Amino acid sequence: MRTKEELLAELARCVVEMEDDSVADVAREYAEAGHDPKEGILNGLIIGMNQAADLYDQEEYYIPELLICSAAMYNGLDVLKPLLPQEKQENEQKIVIGVVQGDTHDIGKNLVKIMLEAAGFTMIDLGRDVPVERFVDAVRAENPQVVALSTLMSTSMQNMGRVVQLLEEAGLRQQVKIIIGGGPVSTAFARKIGADGYSVNATDAVHLVRELLGA
Amino acid sequence: MVAKLKDQMTPAERASALARGEKVDRLPCNPNIANGAARIYGCKISEFNTNAKALAEAQIAVYRRFGSDSIRIFTDLFTCAEAMGAKAILPEDNTADLLEPAISDLSQIDRLRPVDPYKDGRLPVQVEAMKYLVDAIGTEAGCSVGVVGPFTNSFFLVQMEKALQLICKDPEAMHKLCRISLESCKAWAAVVMDMGLTPTISEPMSSCTVVSPRVFREFSLPYLKELVDFIKSRGRGVTMHVCGQTNKIWTDLADLGIAGMSIDNVASIRQCKESIGDQVKVLGNVDPGSVMYAGTPMDVRLATLECIRDGYDSPKGFVVMSGCSLPVETPVENIDMMMDTVREAGYPIDIEWVEAEIARCKQVLGK
Repeated sequence: MRTKEELLAELARCVVEMEDDSVADVAREYAEAGHDPKEGILNGLIIGMNQAADLYDQEEYYIPELLICSAAMYNGLDVLKPLLPQEKQENEQKIVIGVVQGDTHDIGKNLVKIMLEAAGFTMIDLGRDVPVERFVDAVRAENPQVVALSTLMSTSMQNMGRVVQLLEEAGLRQQVKIIIGGGPVSTAFARKIGADGYSVNATDAVHLVRELLGA
Repeated sequence: MVAKLKDQMTPAERASALARGEKVDRLPCNPNIANGAARIYGCKISEFNTNAKALAEAQIAVYRRFGSDSIRIFTDLFTCAEAMGAKAILPEDNTADLLEPAISDLSQIDRLRPVDPYKDGRLPVQVEAMKYLVDAIGTEAGCSVGVVGPFTNSFFLVQMEKALQLICKDPEAMHKLCRISLESCKAWAAVVMDMGLTPTISEPMSSCTVVSPRVFREFSLPYLKELVDFIKSRGRGVTMHVCGQTNKIWTDLADLGIAGMSIDNVASIRQCKESIGDQVKVLGNVDPGSVMYAGTPMDVRLATLECIRDGYDSPKGFVVMSGCSLPVETPVENIDMMMDTVREAGYPIDIEWVEAEIARCKQVLGK
């Protein structure tokens, strides 16, 4: 029988080495041995995902590899998450994320969501081609710390500015940090529309959010 | 502001004089106005899906208005995949998008057939537009037509994320998709050349921003090579555009024997020049979003001058271009500024003047 440490290392390895088919069995073995599911997530799956992110930053991994790693992470989460005790998380930090209206490309957004989720944030995903008003509604309803706006198409750039503007008008701008990302946008554009920051990719988004929240 | 300057040569005269090392009036410049042509011409973008005359005349209107050095038929990335069975969303006045891939299940791969450009999807409209274009432009300027590369087209035959997974999980299936896509690309390129125009290849998914150079070399490069060889065998040079970062695959692409490499604004003109400038013409790379669409004319002037500074002495030539197709709503005055800056810089380039103007722009912009 494998020890807890061995199983945690194996969970991490399955994620970083893209073994999305075998990770669930390892997670079950871990759970059936009575180990803490939360630790399995944080010290197993998430460690693996963070290693994958490091490999992405080092340009060893690219989008296809990152997607399979995340599939492995989610397969492991499917086993371990239901075993977590239902308690309200303290100091929960929420992020509303979505692809702004005018664009249906969501691979970039999904990767950002995965990396932020792996970093411990609670993600509220509004999906793609999201009308600007829905971001405002979500801020009002969910009270998030951050709003993350994504686009691949220049057609959506204007709508990014609209979201910032509408949050201002609704008196909600001060309570959230707004970050943007995607092909056509830049730090200069973020400044221009009054957003708080721009990140160049999914792993950078985690650094940016932590920096903005002072966490 | 500079007074509106006039060109002294046609694009064709300029290109052939440059190729012979003779005197020209300015560097070639291609703002890369895609569906924004509808705004200049005065029609809805959706007309380009059905009305060949509008498609051709809009590009001609752009050429007459700005004096750009490229006239190209290219509406969106999905025309070939659509002709193979994918479904596109065709908004009334915006660029097309992919609605459904050509096949919903890998078991259907063998049902895919290469395109017949005279019959399938919107391709016949583009074929007819080529006739109008050649009739109207004649030998005044080179006319081209966009071909989406085999690797990228494969992503639209299955679903995007599915294709990304196949690369790791089912390489054989991915190769099949690339192979059938290549057959379509060749069929399309053949018609383009039959009509007297030149194919240009767009391969966005080959970008180092998406896949590794290793994956590019396994799944994209071999098929690109066949496509480029096919075009070259018909006596034509081909320009390649790949979005995103491309520095790690420049030498692979240059070694294919392409005529020009058009790069995105996230890549460096200077680096590209140093890496492959002795093999191919370099084209690029004013930022189409933050500068051309969202910037002021002064931002455009600065970015254009910086491109000239970095690329003008590239051994096989340099074309000032946007890093990708311009957003539809790009302000006309920004496009004018790009062209006029290139006109004002003239040729040969006086690099001291360029440096001084860059400094002046920065001062005005407070940079």
